[in-house]
Amino acid sequence: MDSATLLQTFANSIVAGSIYAVIAVGLAMAFGVMKMANFAHGEFFMVGAYTVYVCYGLMGWPFPVAVLMAIPVVALLGVATERFIFRPTRENVLAGFMATAGLALILQVLIGQIWGVGLMRSVPTPYMGALDLGGVRIGWQRVLVIPSAIAMLFALWYFLYHAKAGKALRACAQDPETARLQGININRMTMLAMAISGALAGLAGALMAPIHPVTPYMGHGIILTAFIVVVMGGMESIAGAILAAVLLGFIHTFVTTLSDAVTAQMVGVACMAVVLIVRPQGLLGRVKA
Amino acid sequence: MLSLKDVWAHYGSVAAVKGISVEVAEAEIVTLIGSNGAGKTTTMRTICGLHKPTKGEILFEGKRINGLDPEKINALGIAMVPEGRHVFPQLTVMENLEMGAYLRKDAAGIRRDLEEMFTHFPILKERHKQLAGTMSGGQQQMVAMARALMSGPKVLLLDEPSLGLSPLMTQQIAKIIKKLNEIGRTIVLVEQNARLAFLLAKRAYVMEIGRISMSGLTVDLKDDPKVRETYLGV
Repeated sequence: MDSATLLQTFANSIVAGSIYAVIAVGLAMAFGVMKMANFAHGEFFMVGAYTVYVCYGLMGWPFPVAVLMAIPVVALLGVATERFIFRPTRENVLAGFMATAGLALILQVLIGQIWGVGLMRSVPTPYMGALDLGGVRIGWQRVLVIPSAIAMLFALWYFLYHAKAGKALRACAQDPETARLQGININRMTMLAMAISGALAGLAGALMAPIHPVTPYMGHGIILTAFIVVVMGGMESIAGAILAAVLLGFIHTFVTTLSDAVTAQMVGVACMAVVLIVRPQGLLGRVKA
Repeated sequence: MLSLKDVWAHYGSVAAVKGISVEVAEAEIVTLIGSNGAGKTTTMRTICGLHKPTKGEILFEGKRINGLDPEKINALGIAMVPEGRHVFPQLTVMENLEMGAYLRKDAAGIRRDLEEMFTHFPILKERHKQLAGTMSGGQQQMVAMARALMSGPKVLLLDEPSLGLSPLMTQQIAKIIKKLNEIGRTIVLVEQNARLAFLLAKRAYVMEIGRISMSGLTVDLKDDPKVRETYLGV
């Protein structure tokens, strides 16, 4: 690998890691508050991409507006999922898992019925050109992903550590029963967690729409990666998810460049297995007292 | 102020509380003693709404509160310090106290109460930035008590505050409970340590397998031969 390829791959790794982080943090957060995994999280990402396809690709709205649309659209989807799937199945973890897996299929088929299953929806590139870093060129479209991800994660961190509702959300994740004793409404908190989780997945999908094939099944690959990231990072740990996302971004991108994408996926899973053997609670996970 | 009338509570088909009646008057400490599994904790959980009673009535200031959700009961003015303390381990001491005041909107009142907590529990001021989960058992008990008091409750429920604490720390907690009552707090205290409970409370209820077997003034009960033998170990 020559130095130009190395730099190029390095840059691509950071882009991939940023996207993984935004998606996985949403998944970890929903899991932290509800102790239930959302198997439709990849489809949330897909709906975010389709929002951009419809608003920007079909209706011709400005790209940033389309991206900003995806956030509330998928946040609402998250809220509806909480209200109609997670809340009724709160006492029954297995039913919750099955129901979100079902939701994933429903969303895939629904989107396929409306906009077709065919190869892919093409979303025109809104920002042509590339950033030139001494021979290494990264399309502006990809560069854009990095500050967007950082801004979103920073906003989330600020909310969780400085806003009263954010602190209450952390309290709920740590001890829901005791949170109720303080007057915190659990239903409202799980709804908030799912809204944030959806917003993050929606943003990720929206940013990826111009650089990733937009198909009803695009959530498949990403959900696998997101689960690997969350497990590696330590199920409920947001910082862990970010760290693992960046690591996996590098692993996937470098192995893909040196070999191929299938090998990259295998190496990623192997890394997760190693982490689980060495540190079963995940990189930044905590052992439950 | 708070009264339980023929309250029953079940876990599945097993009755843990079998028709108990308890009265708590304003500004008094009432204690509920009994051995493990007597139903004391279930009674407390039923008062604060974490467990729904299957029969009977719980009245608070003349209003029925049984069946309400815990967040509603907290809003009415009943705060609970659960057994085992249950601080939010990954929240700082300060954040734990803020959560106690979650439903309050009066910023000035919250600040005033925070200052009051820091005079009752000076260590919490010193450690306000520390994660609550990294503190000692006694300090966590203080966090849990201060958190409950931050809601400005009319009744404070204390479930086994001495559990797992050193004798020295137990004494310190006891002093604070006494002081809180002296300044007019109404307290319901559940304790396995009957000696401690009798020292603090004016009246006591003795629970045995889900029922109240005896009740009365602690000064009288502590001379009762059965209480002496079973609970005071004399």
